Amino acid sequence: VNRDPNKFWNPYLAGVALGLVLLTAFVVMGKGLGASGASFRVGVAVMEAVAPDHVGATPALRGVTEAGNPLDDWIVFLLLGVLLGGFVAAYTSGRLSLEVLRGPRISRAGRIAMALAGGLLMGIGAKFARGCASGQALTGGALMSVGAWAFMMTFFGGGYALAYFVRRAWR
Amino acid sequence: MTPLPFWSLMGEHREIGLVVAMFVGVAFGFVLERAGFGRAQKLVGQFLLTEMTVLKVMFGAVATAMVGSVVLDGVGLVDLRAIADSASSPSWIWPLAIGGFVVGLGFVTSAYCPGTSVVAMASGKLDGAATVLGVVVGSVLGAELLRIPAVARFNESGDLGHLYLYDLLGVPAAVVALAVALVAVAAFLGAERLERIFGGETPLPSPARPRRAVFATLAGLGAVGVVTLALPHGTPAYSAPARIDPEALARRVVDAPWKVRILDLRAQEACAAARVPGAECAPAGALKDLDLGYAAPSRDLVLVGEGDLAEVPAAARPYRGRVLLLAGGFQAWREWALVPPGPPPPGASAAESASQRFRQAVHAALTGARAAPPPVPAAGGAPVRKRKASGGGCG
Repeated sequence: VNRDPNKFWNPYLAGVALGLVLLTAFVVMGKGLGASGASFRVGVAVMEAVAPDHVGATPALRGVTEAGNPLDDWIVFLLLGVLLGGFVAAYTSGRLSLEVLRGPRISRAGRIAMALAGGLLMGIGAKFARGCASGQALTGGALMSVGAWAFMMTFFGGGYALAYFVRRAWR
Repeated sequence: MTPLPFWSLMGEHREIGLVVAMFVGVAFGFVLERAGFGRAQKLVGQFLLTEMTVLKVMFGAVATAMVGSVVLDGVGLVDLRAIADSASSPSWIWPLAIGGFVVGLGFVTSAYCPGTSVVAMASGKLDGAATVLGVVVGSVLGAELLRIPAVARFNESGDLGHLYLYDLLGVPAAVVALAVALVAVAAFLGAERLERIFGGETPLPSPARPRRAVFATLAGLGAVGVVTLALPHGTPAYSAPARIDPEALARRVVDAPWKVRILDLRAQEACAAARVPGAECAPAGALKDLDLGYAAPSRDLVLVGEGDLAEVPAAARPYRGRVLLLAGGFQAWREWALVPPGPPPPGASAAESASQRFRQAVHAALTGARAAPPPVPAAGGAPVRKRKASGGGCG
């Protein structure tokens, strides 16, 4: 098998494939795709182990522990699948390697700091937006939810608003 | 035939549903990786205008799933609105819009989104792992911020309920899907143009064959969706109106009266004498004066007739939100709420007893009558006094 790490699927075919995965989730589960919901549940599970009293006193955290283990939810199983699927795809395409992806002008630590800061922003934003690029833009967008389309517009707006300032990290 | 979805996560087969969710996740992760979404440069390129893969894949996926579900709904295989109500969040317009902006800022900073950072982590990228950690911590921080009353108020602001583009625009879902498919194709052509301008010295190969096939399929399926509107069951909202039974309606009136608008279509005198709490009297002629087509669609409309209504009256059809008919009409309501309910039958399940107790409470509140005593009085407990509802309800 020849593995070319720089060879990707045609973006249009990848889009159709992603759309079919989403459609399958609709038809079989009555749910869509998502990621930030599972990340939140992982966070709450850690908090529950470290500071159960604090979780009990915070309504927004308690919400996912009241029904049982916060990790006992379909979206956490979906996330496990994403990890597995991503690993298999990276291994078979020759893109599996321990590294830090960064532009030529930024240090390893700088890139990690930016990745962490961006993740923090996305976690906070996704909590208010009830979802991220997968849960709102993809799932809600395909189901024609008005709120999801508003999300999609401001999501790209936010990206372009800051793009000018981060471009040096990549060029 | 029951329209899909299978609801694999519901009921006793939930364990199998969780396995299904994992397999869907495997496919999701695999496709994201193969599209190049485990690589930060490919994702951030969207915002540096050097490559438009994010737009092509995302918009392509949205259009595919949209026209696919519309066609399946059009031929009667799935219930699009039921899926949408289950799989998408209600439109709290302000937190969704502002949250989206913040997620966009985070995306361009980290060069991943929450889902793709998981794929990057799975392929060994440490920056991806850092983003995953950030998302976990950030979402818990977001939940902590909700302790501040002003933040919590913002988080619930602009509640439009489950509102869809086809409700907002007042056109069938299939028309919206066709329009989105055509806009997607136009956006792809525009994106390729931008890539030629900003892409620099490495023009991206864009093989013509799959590209043309995808464009034609999206537009073609969009058109098929519109054609299904001509099928006899193509307009499920009118041919098979949704119904709500008296108990479910009573629960909504008690739990969330602001999300439901009840219109009593019986004659004025009958409605004035007795009606469902909170109902407006709207006898035949008065219904069209309400201009339901222009009313805010955030509340579900419940229509009450004397008996079962056969269909949604013409004057209520333009309503852009959901329209429900009270199953059995006011007769059924009278039997359920105004006739003294007996005690729960011996050997009733917990759910049945709870349902019976709720019915007794509603009956007591509406009529002022004491609930029938439970079959075996609890020892030592003080007798529970039911108070007559002091206002609000009209009975």
